[in-house]
Amino acid sequence: MSQNSFIGRDSGIAVLGLLVILSSGCVTSRVEDARENVTGLNDGESVVVMAKSYHQGNETESGYITCIEDALGRGSKGLRVIPRQQFVDSLFPWFEPRTAPAETKGLTKLMERPGVADIVKDMGVRYIVWLDGDTETVAQGGSLSCAAGPGGGGCFGFAWWQKDADYEASVWDLDGYENAGTVTADVSGTSFLPALVVPIPLIARTQAAACKGLAQQLRAFIIQ
Amino acid sequence: MIAKIRALLAVSLIPIALAACSSTTTMEELSIPAPQTEKIPLAVALRIPEEFNDFVHEENILGKQSWTIHLGGTNATFFEQLFGYMFTSLTVIGPDDDARDVQFDALVEPSIDGFEFSVPTQSKTEAFAVWIRYRLRIFDREGNNASNWTVSAYGKSRKQGMGGSKALQRAALLAMRDAAALIIMQMDKATKISALANGGLAPSASVPAQVAVDSESGLESSQGTDFAEDDFGIFVIGGIEDESE
Repeated sequence: MSQNSFIGRDSGIAVLGLLVILSSGCVTSRVEDARENVTGLNDGESVVVMAKSYHQGNETESGYITCIEDALGRGSKGLRVIPRQQFVDSLFPWFEPRTAPAETKGLTKLMERPGVADIVKDMGVRYIVWLDGDTETVAQGGSLSCAAGPGGGGCFGFAWWQKDADYEASVWDLDGYENAGTVTADVSGTSFLPALVVPIPLIARTQAAACKGLAQQLRAFIIQ
Repeated sequence: MIAKIRALLAVSLIPIALAACSSTTTMEELSIPAPQTEKIPLAVALRIPEEFNDFVHEENILGKQSWTIHLGGTNATFFEQLFGYMFTSLTVIGPDDDARDVQFDALVEPSIDGFEFSVPTQSKTEAFAVWIRYRLRIFDREGNNASNWTVSAYGKSRKQGMGGSKALQRAALLAMRDAAALIIMQMDKATKISALANGGLAPSASVPAQVAVDSESGLESSQGTDFAEDDFGIFVIGGIEDESE
């Protein structure tokens, strides 16, 4: 292979990398945790990630929960994550949106019900992570217009929008039926869409950033 | 000739325009998980009404889209599965079957009192919501009315992607699971159905009990019955308050 082709490939990768950097909008994030009790995870123990009941407010996006599940389980130090639907179905009807305990003090009574403690033990569930929050568009502006004719088409203008992703994860320890603490992610991202004939989207991946940040902090919080 | 073409074009565009303003959702097969509760020792006959075999509900949003949901036979499957899990013996009978031909302790006749849903354009949120109000009429083996119980259930699902069909379907499924949870945990307490075991009869002089277990109903009774005086709330959201424990 000639030197020129190497240079050509390297510059292609550099251009692609530059495009990826340029094509993302601005994101600011703050991830914090508040610990109440000591945590840790032994061999064979697992985690289940649940959405807070829709009876108590807006339901967290299922895509976001799946993202957290995947991120927690990924990698060589990944946690063992039980799929939430499997957990809810196995314990029907005790973790339905209406019946799931809202506080840890309800766990003791729930575990005394026939079969419940055995199922939880069989699945090895040590922590229940309750997710609350969502991603919302909080501001938007600008104007963009597109037109097409026999000779071609194009767009002209500038649009922007800001999304806020606010999530809170409460970690319940089923070992002592207590609240281990909370991890919060507060992410704000502004996307831009300038167009001069061709629109160039500069998208801020707000929810993805909130997922990555919260999952990393959550994993560190649980493992310690 | 041109007028004819114009007319043909106009006629052919009407279905396209109508299709753009309506959305139809068909429920897929429903499956209720086996509950982690003990079965009630009772032989129950379940009469499936005609409407349960092909239930369709349409919601017209004034000046906007019209939504139709086909529940098909989902309600019949729902009650067959649910009562199969709840009672030691279950016999399913059709709307025209004679109940006297069947051996049972209690006969249950479910019906739909109300079905409503809201879409994001109405609620100004990103969620579809479904409310279902079931009525369960319970008779003893001699045909006396033992109880008349209404169950209001609620399901909510966020809109995902461009279409709302899947979200509406999920909201309906969640509402039915909500109803199942309520029925499993409160039916015996609210209706005293287990007292009908081994030949137990409904108190003959009693007025049919009108008990509603509900906390978030968006529905009004479609039969004009005022339940307010007899209603009592057993459930609190976020766990069960069981007074007997």
